[in-house]
Amino acid sequence: MSIETTEPPAAGPHGEDGGHFLEPEVVDRGQRLGVWLFIGGDIIIVSALLFTYLYLRGVNTSGHWMSMLGYQGHSYAYYQNAANLPAPTLIHVKAMSAGFDWLITAVTVVTAGIIWQGERALRVTKNAKAFSSAAAFATIVTLVAIVLTVIQLRAIPEIFVATNDSQGMAYTAYDSAFMALVGSGLIHLVVLAFLGLGLTVRASRGLITGEKWYQARLIRMFWVWIAISSVVVAAVTTTINTIH
Amino acid sequence: MTTTLERNATAQIPKGGGLARRQNFGTAVVAGVVFAYLFWLIAHLTLDSTGRPFGDQVATFTGLGWLIGFWIGIGAFNGPFRWLLGRDHSHADDMYYAGQNMGKARYWKFTTDHKVVGVQYIVVTMVLFGVGGILAMAIRTNLIAPGNHFVNQQVYNSFIAIHGMVMILAMIVAVAGPWGNFVMPIMIGARDMAFPRLNALSLWTLVAAIGLLVTTLAVGGLPVGWVVMDPISNQAGIGMDFFALTIIAFTVSTTVAGVNTITTMMTMRTKGMTLERMPIFTWGVFMAAALGLYAFPYFLVAESFQILDRTSFTSFFVSTGGGTGWLQANLFWLMGHPEVYVILLPAVGALFEIAAVMSRKPVFSYRTAVGSMAGLAGLSALVWAHHMFTSGWAPTLGGPFMLTTEIISIPTGLFFLVLIGTLWRGHIWMKLPTIWLFGFMANFIIAGITGIYLSDIPLDDQLHGTMFVTAHFHYVFVGSVLFGAIAALAFWYPKVTGRYLNEYLGRISFWFVFVGVQVTFLAMFVSGLRGMPRRYASYSIIFEHTNFASTIGAYTIMIGMIILGVALVTSWNKGEPSGPNPWQANSLEWMVPTPPPLENFEVQPVITEDPYNFDKEMVRR
Repeated sequence: MSIETTEPPAAGPHGEDGGHFLEPEVVDRGQRLGVWLFIGGDIIIVSALLFTYLYLRGVNTSGHWMSMLGYQGHSYAYYQNAANLPAPTLIHVKAMSAGFDWLITAVTVVTAGIIWQGERALRVTKNAKAFSSAAAFATIVTLVAIVLTVIQLRAIPEIFVATNDSQGMAYTAYDSAFMALVGSGLIHLVVLAFLGLGLTVRASRGLITGEKWYQARLIRMFWVWIAISSVVVAAVTTTINTIH
Repeated sequence: MTTTLERNATAQIPKGGGLARRQNFGTAVVAGVVFAYLFWLIAHLTLDSTGRPFGDQVATFTGLGWLIGFWIGIGAFNGPFRWLLGRDHSHADDMYYAGQNMGKARYWKFTTDHKVVGVQYIVVTMVLFGVGGILAMAIRTNLIAPGNHFVNQQVYNSFIAIHGMVMILAMIVAVAGPWGNFVMPIMIGARDMAFPRLNALSLWTLVAAIGLLVTTLAVGGLPVGWVVMDPISNQAGIGMDFFALTIIAFTVSTTVAGVNTITTMMTMRTKGMTLERMPIFTWGVFMAAALGLYAFPYFLVAESFQILDRTSFTSFFVSTGGGTGWLQANLFWLMGHPEVYVILLPAVGALFEIAAVMSRKPVFSYRTAVGSMAGLAGLSALVWAHHMFTSGWAPTLGGPFMLTTEIISIPTGLFFLVLIGTLWRGHIWMKLPTIWLFGFMANFIIAGITGIYLSDIPLDDQLHGTMFVTAHFHYVFVGSVLFGAIAALAFWYPKVTGRYLNEYLGRISFWFVFVGVQVTFLAMFVSGLRGMPRRYASYSIIFEHTNFASTIGAYTIMIGMIILGVALVTSWNKGEPSGPNPWQANSLEWMVPTPPPLENFEVQPVITEDPYNFDKEMVRR
């Protein structure tokens, strides 16, 4: 291998190149690719969750996609003595509220729109203050989405089941798969809240400016993916749920 | 001209102060244990102990506590929270975290220098092989005679699962971990990985995951096999919860490592390092990273469902609630078969590299070599259901999956052809790496051909679940990947230490391991062909002789590995000095001093030709 040598590149901004004096373009290109790859990994996870939802609905094991043998209306720890257990009955659950699902999705999409507009303002008009306000607003709206998602998780119906060796509140396959998708959405939103807070703080400290905007763009890319995934999940879960 | 090294030397390291600068493996373990206890306490105080599977919930909380505590203790969260607060690292901070002027202490810390991470991976790999090897010896000792009770059946079952998982982890990191970190960035002319902190995070998350996996042995074991199929894994004790958390942590580790590796190779190549000039090893690491990024999330999802089913009465895999074990089987094998190639491809890349350097010839058809690895990676994602031929799942898909599995033998044949073509009529230097390379080639033929048998549905119906399958995949992992990993170790060891791996001990080790592999696993093939099932703690007297042979073979492998371990340790400080380029190779890692300095290059290299343009007249010892 024939090798020539060249001058080391100019120092990059602190904290963005691991201290290795990389050209800013190299750092930018690397971080963009890195975010795309993380999004790729996340797409696999969301796809696996959707596959689970559709697969369990498709196989509908023993006809129990949205039903389960259990005890309606009984409180937790109702049966202290397993010998007193009556025969369980088949309990059906309803599909979760489509309206509420779309409400959370709409809020998530709005947060992505706010961040996108803020980032555009930062890049085009160099308005760091507008971006800082947008990031703060998006973070607050994300917190609202988190609260709504927790409410949705708590609304997933439980069925009391009891056997000779255990008792507790159980979920049908539909509820389980739905819970996984909503839970994944909740984790995404928590990450967005962290990133949004970070953007707000960094913009207010002058670390994100009209000239140094690429971290805002990276996070916007991830934010938009979360919004898209939220729409896809809502579309699937609200149109494909019950089995007729 | 100001070089990078000169600038490093003038960088001011802040003196003293700061809890973050005192964090190391010790503080990580302490924080992990403290957090595990706190989470255990919180779980006991807040969860209802009467109804739900309380033990599983407490175990999951405790395991999470360990993970979070370990991450805090090692310093994994320092970077994100400094980012959050807008207090970015200074250059001096970065140099501190890269381990500048820190001596051996840097090997115990959240050090970001890729070479330190590479050495840490070597140690982690050795520890994993040690633990997995001890369990293998216990298993084989139990099977030395029918009705032998070296360990009881429950413990035996746990040993099978933990041995399997520990060895899979070891194999996954055996080549890509040490050499994908230590030499790959230098090979492409980079100063470090693209995301140095993620690199350290990947390593230390793996260490935390190993802690969880070992814990399973202390909490009742994991008597369900490493594939943890349902419904049996749903009925297992709390060891299963720790196992599931192990997989979740491990997926985090492999995902960040995969992102880092691909980004480094795609964006940090030095000037003139075109894709076709990249040393062939780097392609092996690249393919494995990409495949891992695709495959491991399925395992994360499967094990997350496992935890939810066990702790929250969800019904992903539980049929009474509408779930099905086939979902687990699909998710597992969507990961499980690509994972074989995540393990194999870095070793194949390393062997291409060794074959070219040791025969002083260019890689035979470089594009075919890269194409064969890409073909293996791509096709491996389309064959998962051949592991489920006998499960009853989607019998109509059996034919297509048999076809895709058999097609995978085409890129496999191509990579073998590239190896042979590279060595053909070369001036082969029969040093330690080359010897292990030839061992790989001999064993891989057996591994590959028996794999074709198993892809055939009628034959698989007969052999599935027998020791034939066990022998086949041990030829893949032990006979092939381990040999490739040791070849890579012998090849790049001088770059890490400045000394050769002891040639004499290395050759003795080779013959013990090579003969041991044949005795152990050829006999195991016979056991399988005669119908001996896998995973049984005891067996009929008709399998006595072949099992005795397998156990003697396993002891022989163990002796060989101990000798290799002795060679590794003794050569580190007292081996024959090798100089910076002992194999007279042309790729960049051999052009830098040994050991390579922080940031690798004093001046940035520019590449003008490929690394396999050897001077054939060069005199060798």
